[in-house]
Amino acid sequence: MKRLLASLLALALAGCASVAPYQRGYLARPGMSFEESAAMAKTMEKVFVAKEAASGSASVGGSGCGCN
Amino acid sequence: MAAIDSLLKAAFALPILAIPARAGAVEAGEVGMSVLGYKEQGLMKVTEPVAWGWMQFGDGWEVRANVAVDIVTGASPELVTNVTGKPVQVVTGASVEDRRTLWDVKVAKRIGEATIGVSGARSDEHDYLSKAFGLEAKYDLDDRNTTLTAAYGRLKDRVRSHDDPTLDEPRDTDEYLLGIAQVLSPVAAVQSTLQWSRGDGYYNDPYKHTRTFYPDGGVPAFAVDTRPSHRDSLAWITRYRHHFPASAGTLQLEYRYYRDDWGIRAHTFEVGWHQPVGERWTLRPALRYYTQSQADFYTPVIPQPQPAILSSDQRLATFGGLSPSLRAQLQLDDRWRVEGTIGYIENASRLRLGGGGSEAFVTLRAYYGIVGVSRSF
Repeated sequence: MKRLLASLLALALAGCASVAPYQRGYLARPGMSFEESAAMAKTMEKVFVAKEAASGSASVGGSGCGCN
Repeated sequence: MAAIDSLLKAAFALPILAIPARAGAVEAGEVGMSVLGYKEQGLMKVTEPVAWGWMQFGDGWEVRANVAVDIVTGASPELVTNVTGKPVQVVTGASVEDRRTLWDVKVAKRIGEATIGVSGARSDEHDYLSKAFGLEAKYDLDDRNTTLTAAYGRLKDRVRSHDDPTLDEPRDTDEYLLGIAQVLSPVAAVQSTLQWSRGDGYYNDPYKHTRTFYPDGGVPAFAVDTRPSHRDSLAWITRYRHHFPASAGTLQLEYRYYRDDWGIRAHTFEVGWHQPVGERWTLRPALRYYTQSQADFYTPVIPQPQPAILSSDQRLATFGGLSPSLRAQLQLDDRWRVEGTIGYIENASRLRLGGGGSEAFVTLRAYYGIVGVSRSF
């Protein structure tokens, strides 16, 4: 797991260029966001969590559910 | 209508969004309402109206809030029995209605290149209460090409039961998160997050049981759902975005690896394509694939001798799932947007990656739809 993490980090950082603010027009587009429609993402996450054993997202501190 | 009424009452009980708005200090924000409808074939139905909002104001402050009401009707399988020779799920209870109210609020402040956030959440239903808080710190590096995130969350839950008024057990969970988001190029970015949690307390499902008949015709065995009182889990989530200027479309990829000390291993893949159509429309088709291996103590048939810990809950079994979806958004003007999503979920033994899905797994088929409206300001 540690090796996987280090590899991913190295991959991410090695493949990147330092992008200046004036070059970030495309990065600001709605489809490029990692948190688009956060409320809907939470709703859908609950739908899947209630039917699967796995859980976990890019945030913590959300409440749980009985989901029986 | 009763659900909408409950939702509006709950929303008005959260003045946190109104304070900066009244002070006239809002720089940007958005509020919206949506309704999720979810229907399983033959089993339960969920309706969930949601109200949400976020706003940026003052000197680097941001507030986010969501409030939702879950209305669950229908029935959930409660008993797994092999009285017919093969283990089958049986719905023994009458159709019920259960209502859950949930809200969460997050307040964050930007200080230089750092952002510090605090969140609180609560989920209330007849047989389950969950309270949570979270702390989050983000730090931007390299002219905001890199963002590091560290977070901690704590959940304090109480598990109760419609069937047993004496049941009132705690379950506490600590959650930790480390993440990095990295701009790769003017058209690509990646985010990778490691989340792990440690939980202690009551994990049994108070409504699930197993009854097993043996070939020798002896006394059938009966077991209530009994799970370990501890659960450690790890999730690694990686998201990739790549924009294609020629078509104005964006490829969205997500992969999650999950493992826990119950023996479960799971992989989730999602691919989506975000495509503007004309000046006002956006379409996003997506496909999600999920596969998991079973918990060590999952069994649809009670073995002999009977172990202390066992569960026949098929959500702990070996299976896979496929879920296609399509979202459409229409920007009505500068402020108003409407959107709708339809999706289908099929979880089945045969969909497990590499085969070997649990024989007793009953295929789940469900449809869902979401409609919403939002206003930005």
